[in-house]
Amino acid sequence: MFANFRLSFAWLHTWFGLVLGFVLMAAFFFGSLSVFDREIDRWALPETRIEPQPMPSFDTILASRFAEIAAPEPEELAAASKRSTQPLPEKLKPALFGAYTTHRDPVLDVFVGFEVPNSTLPNDLAYGSVVIDPRDGRKLPKDRLALGSAFFYPMHYSLHFTWYDIGMWIVGLAAMAMLAAVVSGVVMHRKIFREFFTFRPGKKLLRGTLDLHNLTGVVALPFHFLWALSGLIIFAGVYFPVFDKMLQPLVEQHEREEARHTGLDAEPSGVPGTLASVDAMMIAAKDHWVSRGVPGEVGYLQVTHVGSSNAYVSIYRDSTDRVATAEGLHFQGSTGRVIFEDPPTGAAETVNGFLTGMHLQQFRHWTLRWLIFVGGLLSCVCITTGFIFFVEKRKHVHARQGTSGSRWVDALAVTTVTGMMVATLATLVMNRALPEDLANRDLWEKSTFWIAWLTALTHALWRSAAVLQARMSKAWAEQSWAIAALGAVAVVLNAATTGDHLGRTLMAGYWPVAGVDLMLIASACAAAIAARKLRARAAEVVPVNPEVPDYA
Amino acid sequence: MPDALLLAAALACTVIGMGWLSLAMDVHWIQVRATRRSPRMVIILRVLGAASLAASLVLCLLADTATMAALVWMMLLAVAAVTIALVLSRKPALLAPLVAAFPQSP
Repeated sequence: MFANFRLSFAWLHTWFGLVLGFVLMAAFFFGSLSVFDREIDRWALPETRIEPQPMPSFDTILASRFAEIAAPEPEELAAASKRSTQPLPEKLKPALFGAYTTHRDPVLDVFVGFEVPNSTLPNDLAYGSVVIDPRDGRKLPKDRLALGSAFFYPMHYSLHFTWYDIGMWIVGLAAMAMLAAVVSGVVMHRKIFREFFTFRPGKKLLRGTLDLHNLTGVVALPFHFLWALSGLIIFAGVYFPVFDKMLQPLVEQHEREEARHTGLDAEPSGVPGTLASVDAMMIAAKDHWVSRGVPGEVGYLQVTHVGSSNAYVSIYRDSTDRVATAEGLHFQGSTGRVIFEDPPTGAAETVNGFLTGMHLQQFRHWTLRWLIFVGGLLSCVCITTGFIFFVEKRKHVHARQGTSGSRWVDALAVTTVTGMMVATLATLVMNRALPEDLANRDLWEKSTFWIAWLTALTHALWRSAAVLQARMSKAWAEQSWAIAALGAVAVVLNAATTGDHLGRTLMAGYWPVAGVDLMLIASACAAAIAARKLRARAAEVVPVNPEVPDYA
Repeated sequence: MPDALLLAAALACTVIGMGWLSLAMDVHWIQVRATRRSPRMVIILRVLGAASLAASLVLCLLADTATMAALVWMMLLAVAAVTIALVLSRKPALLAPLVAAFPQSP
């Protein structure tokens, strides 16, 4: 099909990179934002602008909160009723309590898993949850959107297409394409070492674009590869559902074997039982960690087989000091006696824990957090320059032939690069502009995002007519102006509606909000500078018959 | 030494190391110096660069546990390489101090 190996890899890189690049752009941009998801949450939810809190008392605060969660969330219930072979009873039985926090969380996610009877899945649960202020157990309103962890983060891995997990499949496919693009990129690149530090912005746009594409691709190569790979590994259970589909009998047998070994029963006993003081178990766990010389706050708390005589309480150490996650102590619920401690992990589990932990970043290491954020932005630059190179290389030929291929690519590139930022910033602005007591406030914010993005797409399509004449679309400059304006407005609105202007947050050293504000200002400034340059370039007269060199 | 200082030193080492490695390449050497250099100087620059990157890894390992340090170092390399590439494209003269001790003629 192709004359040589390099050409066939170039084809793969170009077309897979282009088609799935639009998805990758969303995955990497919102992934970068997700590095600071908890901080964006603080910005978007002013009432939660407090210092991170440790796991509160179970006996005095959490127990009553769990008891108040009477039913699964409506969408969970609807999904569960489809999995059940019979109509679900009026009231479901709680089977699991869970509470999760990290060193960056001032609020606590508290959830209850309800047993789904007659389900086609084993040990099937449907979840109901609340977010509480751990200081006093006060419940936070449900329709306040945690923009970082509940909107940008799911966007990063599912694009919010939840129907049959289709979004996760698309993102997974894009991650596969990323791995293929990294490998094929290395094969195509003729001077990977000789041009390692090369960036020639002064020369032709095509040359500078390719330089930047190669530079960001090569120097951050381990990042691109490892993050795409670990993303796939995290959702391996979705992409290869061997355990709950193909190997179900084997899994059940393994569970029974494991239960015999650990003493943690796989099934509830069916005999009612009571829970001893969980606070005492938390104290025992902390004492245990102190005796082992490791730092330890409770990160995750879970009660399994709630209300049953064989209930057990699992207490996991938070993961501030290490990359990998999960290190648990398991107590007998009725007595508070330690039944089992998670043993040191084996080789495969250690590698899996490292890759997963690296991607999810629950550790306390602000330098690494920022470095990973920069890595994500380098990926975004790499993908963006890929789009621009595609268009710049072809637009003159397409203009002569009268075909519109590069116009469409340019419009979609504008939509996924500047358009995505416009939509994100519009959502932040709306988050601060909407009245605090507005009903369904979260829906308004989500709608803002999609409407703004759709507007950006329409604008990009309209303005990209210029590409048909091999000129630059004005949409790039105009959407950059929009980014600059929205970024500035967001900072002003935050100060106006909450009083937490930069002077105050910086003086108080409240970095979650100060950091988001500073990033907004930096983005606005960068966008304004870019807009000026892009406008100048869009106004340039195009030579009638330019030579298009063949770089790739 | 506090971790923040160790990490700052590690960043400095990676940037300087990447600087030396870039100047070991002819195309970047001529951006900084008008005169040619001997093959021996190329080797010296490469050794200096590699040693500096190794030193940064050691500093990372002193600051954090091995798994964390490996990630920090990997990301520092990327950031340092981009930094040097941008300096070379805008103001290559900034790298001149890295080879100030080298003789003007080969």
